[in-house]
Amino acid sequence: MKRLLIVFLALTVTSVFAYGVDKHINLGDRATELKNEGKSRGIHPSLSEIRKMHPEFLLHKRDKTVHQGIRTRRNSLKECVDCHSTTKNDEYVPINAPEQFCSTCHQKVGTSLDCFSCHRTTPKEDL
Amino acid sequence: MSKKLNRRDFIKSTTAVTAGVATISSGITLTTFAAEDSPVTNEKRWGMLIDTNKLTESNIDDMVNVCQEENGWGSETHSTGAQKPDWIKKVKVRDKTTGKIDMLPMMCQHCEQPPCVDVCPTNASMKREDGVVLVDKHLCIGCRYCMMACPYGSRSFVHEDLSNQKEHMPRGKGTVESCTLCVHRVDKGGIPACAEAVSSDGVIFGDLYDANSKINQTLKKIQSTQIRADLNLNTGIRYSGI
Ligand code: HEC
Ligand code: HEC
Ligand code: HEC
Repeated sequence: MKRLLIVFLALTVTSVFAYGVDKHINLGDRATELKNEGKSRGIHPSLSEIRKMHPEFLLHKRDKTVHQGIRTRRNSLKECVDCHSTTKNDEYVPINAPEQFCSTCHQKVGTSLDCFSCHRTTPKEDL
Repeated sequence: MSKKLNRRDFIKSTTAVTAGVATISSGITLTTFAAEDSPVTNEKRWGMLIDTNKLTESNIDDMVNVCQEENGWGSETHSTGAQKPDWIKKVKVRDKTTGKIDMLPMMCQHCEQPPCVDVCPTNASMKREDGVVLVDKHLCIGCRYCMMACPYGSRSFVHEDLSNQKEHMPRGKGTVESCTLCVHRVDKGGIPACAEAVSSDGVIFGDLYDANSKINQTLKKIQSTQIRADLNLNTGIRYSGI
């Protein structure tokens, strides 16, 4: 009985740790920096809002840009990529690659995006 | 408790309130006009005047090359000749009788009455308020009706997977594309890359409606034409010298 309890406890403890690890998704270089400096508030006023609403924000911005020529930075896909990308060996990793910002959550919920068949997956032209 | 509001005070206080409202609303109008976030309107119509007499063949080649560089097309490796994209191309026109050869750059003519928009089943083919004809690639299903409808052969279809696109010009397999009049530059006050590449007056870009613009004034002075003017599409791209 005791042994069973230990196994059970061990399981819960590891799963808590596992959760703690992947809860912090890979935010990307610049976003991590901003977060550490405590400057993330001005970017996404509310975390729960951006988590839930980012598809709507993006589609709204998309139509504004393509149909009305509005090219502000807010909710622009270019900007998400700029801020949320990571570098490895002095090169950008595509933001939709496994374990990157725009893919971790999506993998979990089984969503796949076609955006990046057209949109650039790394910031600007060069590093 | 005995303080009563007489008529004077009432008027005074209401004017103060009205003035407050006026400042607030003028503040709002100021910001909406000053920021680059106001939608394009039909008070403008973007157009281009191409004077073939002032363009050498190498000018035209330059126009094609800078367009490729700006928008990131032309290095497709798996597409065969006819499949390759052609946002802008060099066209040779030969007079059968005299043998005179004219060379001109040809791209989307940004029609006022665009046939490509008429035939599109998903409204992906669209015309902005300021006259720029575009493909909203988010809506494009790749049926290519617009390519058949276009009298100028100005549209192409992406036949292969692409990567490393330009940041400002997303492109992808299965959708139609064409000259955007470089809206990504124009919306920020710039001019199309091809117009910038020609240093002479061979290409003039501007607002056709604006009586003070160079393009408007030049068009009033000189002889110019629209290609296939017989179709009554009222193109935004005009030519002179042909
Ligand atoms: C078939 C190609 C294609 C696909 C797929 C595509 N886009 Fe776009 N997108 C474009 C083009 C072309 C533009 C116009 C760029 C311009 O005018 O600056 C654009 C512009 C945008 C813009 C405005 C510009 C910016 O960077 O903010 C947003 C936002 C956007 N797309 C979001 C999306 C999202 C979200 C998806 C996936 C659900 C997506 N797009 C899929 C081609 C595509
Ligand atoms: C200037 C940098 C910047 C830009 C641009 C930016 N973000 Fe963020 N984003 C951040 C930072 C910093 C955080 C972390 C905030 C925190 O944890 O307090 C964050 C967090 C997020 C989160 C929540 C992640 C989590 O912890 O669950 C989502 C979702 C997100 N961003 C989506 C987007 C999308 C979509 C765009 C483009 C429309 C975008 N971001 C543009 C900096 C940016
Ligand atoms: C915090 C987790 C998280 C992050 C980080 C995240 N997403 Fe999402 N995203 C989701 C979830 C969950 C959905 C599914 C929402 C639904 O189905 O209603 C989704 C859906 C989407 C959709 C709509 C897909 C569709 O087919 O309808 C788009 C577009 C999108 N995300 C873009 C992005 C982009 C671009 C990034 C990177 C900048 C990003 N997301 C980062 C959680 C996330």
